[in-house]
Amino acid sequence: MAEDSILTTDLTKIFQSRPSILRIRGSQERKNRVIKAVDRVNLRIRKGEVFGLLGPNGAGKTTLIKLLCTLLIPDYGSAFVNNFDVRKESAKVKESIGTLFSLGERGFYWRLSAFRNLEFYAATYKIPRRERKERIEQVLARVGLERFSTCRFQELSGGMKRKLALARALLPDPPVLLLDEPTLQLDPQSSRALRTFIRDDLSKKQDKTVLYTTHFIEEAGQVCHRVGIINHGKVVACGTPEQVRKMVQRNRIIELKVRNLSHTQIRNLERLAFISNLEVNLEDSSQSLFKLNFEISRMEEFAQVLSCILNEKTELTALRQVEPSLEDAFLQLTESKEDL
Amino acid sequence: MFLEAAKIYNFIKRDALSFSTYKTNLLLMMLGSFFGALSYSYLGENATMQIVLDEYKMPLVTYLITGVAFSTFIGQSLISVHQAINPWTLEEILVSPTRLSTYIIGSSAWGYILSASNVFVYLCVGLLAFKMQLAINLFETLLVLALGVGTFFGISMIGAGVQLIIKRGDPVTWLMGSLISLFGNVFFPPQVMPSYLSTISYVLPHYYFFTAIRLALTGRSWPTVWPYILTLALMCALTLCAGYLLFCLCLRKVRMDGTLSWF
Repeated sequence: MAEDSILTTDLTKIFQSRPSILRIRGSQERKNRVIKAVDRVNLRIRKGEVFGLLGPNGAGKTTLIKLLCTLLIPDYGSAFVNNFDVRKESAKVKESIGTLFSLGERGFYWRLSAFRNLEFYAATYKIPRRERKERIEQVLARVGLERFSTCRFQELSGGMKRKLALARALLPDPPVLLLDEPTLQLDPQSSRALRTFIRDDLSKKQDKTVLYTTHFIEEAGQVCHRVGIINHGKVVACGTPEQVRKMVQRNRIIELKVRNLSHTQIRNLERLAFISNLEVNLEDSSQSLFKLNFEISRMEEFAQVLSCILNEKTELTALRQVEPSLEDAFLQLTESKEDL
Repeated sequence: MFLEAAKIYNFIKRDALSFSTYKTNLLLMMLGSFFGALSYSYLGENATMQIVLDEYKMPLVTYLITGVAFSTFIGQSLISVHQAINPWTLEEILVSPTRLSTYIIGSSAWGYILSASNVFVYLCVGLLAFKMQLAINLFETLLVLALGVGTFFGISMIGAGVQLIIKRGDPVTWLMGSLISLFGNVFFPPQVMPSYLSTISYVLPHYYFFTAIRLALTGRSWPTVWPYILTLALMCALTLCAGYLLFCLCLRKVRMDGTLSWF
């Protein structure tokens, strides 16, 4: 427990929505809808770890963040942030966290400058008056807004507003950061700079724990030590990006490049029952070079594939086994659950 | 305690800075108060209402100007908590280590400063241009003001709690705001109405606030003022306790339901 910054046990949040009193003709919406937004989630995030929470829209990512920052009250289960219980020690939890919500920029005052906005929030975070100026300048520099400190919030671009919301999360210098889609609206350069900052500066140098939600899968793979995939409120996979990728690797995906492949050989290949997801593309017509992608379940089947396509005219120029990407894992894990 | 006071100062500073960017609005607000004060002063000076002289022992101009001027305080109190519960800002504050009470008081403090400036304009016009006669008992005035603000702040918390649940259209504040012109003892005393209507006035805090503030501003002795102050104090204690309790319960409910930012 000592080294866990975030620990949840069977954490559950159920929402009920009532049907509108004005019902559209033909609508089936008559009863209360019960949605398990977070369903018995067990997470253990270590100190200094960057943990990515991946999930499609409506999967429960934001609800989980709101439970951890005490904005929502759990229905069942428990959650500890920095060793403080979110139900019983909410004041201590609030002193331990910096939060960035997906629409966090709406909480700013549009007529005030970036500096004045942060100055106000610095007071709410109990930052001593003599330290405020220096701290604000530091966080503005960290997010690359130091030149815009005197600009009114309403004059900042969408990406800059997002950066300012991140600066606000960093302001109290908390041990735990809960970042809900932090790269939303950021340009690619800023997005990359933020990922580097989170991994190298916040995690490695400052030993801060970061819970990071996103639906940009490759981004999570680059920045997070571990990822969890959440769907319909349940964590369906959890581990390092490598471990999660391997969870879905049931079939072997093979990529071949073959020169002088005939139509008959392609038809023979299509007739093989054990092959799935066969794709044949003519990559270079001048050299009659074909690229083949397919899936097989056992390596023994590969010999039959080779006997189908190789003869004295054809030439095998490339062969590789394709590793599934984190995106493949994400899609497979979230789609399969959707089918249930 | 000192830290919370410092936070309230920062809320006022935030709102003052924000307000200072609307210079034309400031000018129009002051002009609005000035012309309003002129209108009521002319009306008060050229009309008579015998019952005001008999019951309150003051000319109609004093009765009207004090009533209208201090009704801005009451109006501000009634909307203060609603203004503070902007869902986006509320979320940000609720995840910071700031007490909810500090947030609500801090967010409404600037409104009271503006209301005080409005009262100042009204009283200046009345005193300088229309020879309105005041003999302010400062202690009584401040006490009545504090109790009145507390009472209506409590009602505002009840209304804001209801609004957190129903999201739009708060019947409590609407009712209290609507009753002020007819039963509030602002423009005319309830004694001019038939007894079945004036009874409504006597159960509302408006009547006790406006009667007490007028008596305090015209220098009436403590024995004349204290029955009104006592009634107001009881109403203040009741509405503040009920308001705080209800607001906290409603906030807990929306945190359970997950509808805090649904407006």
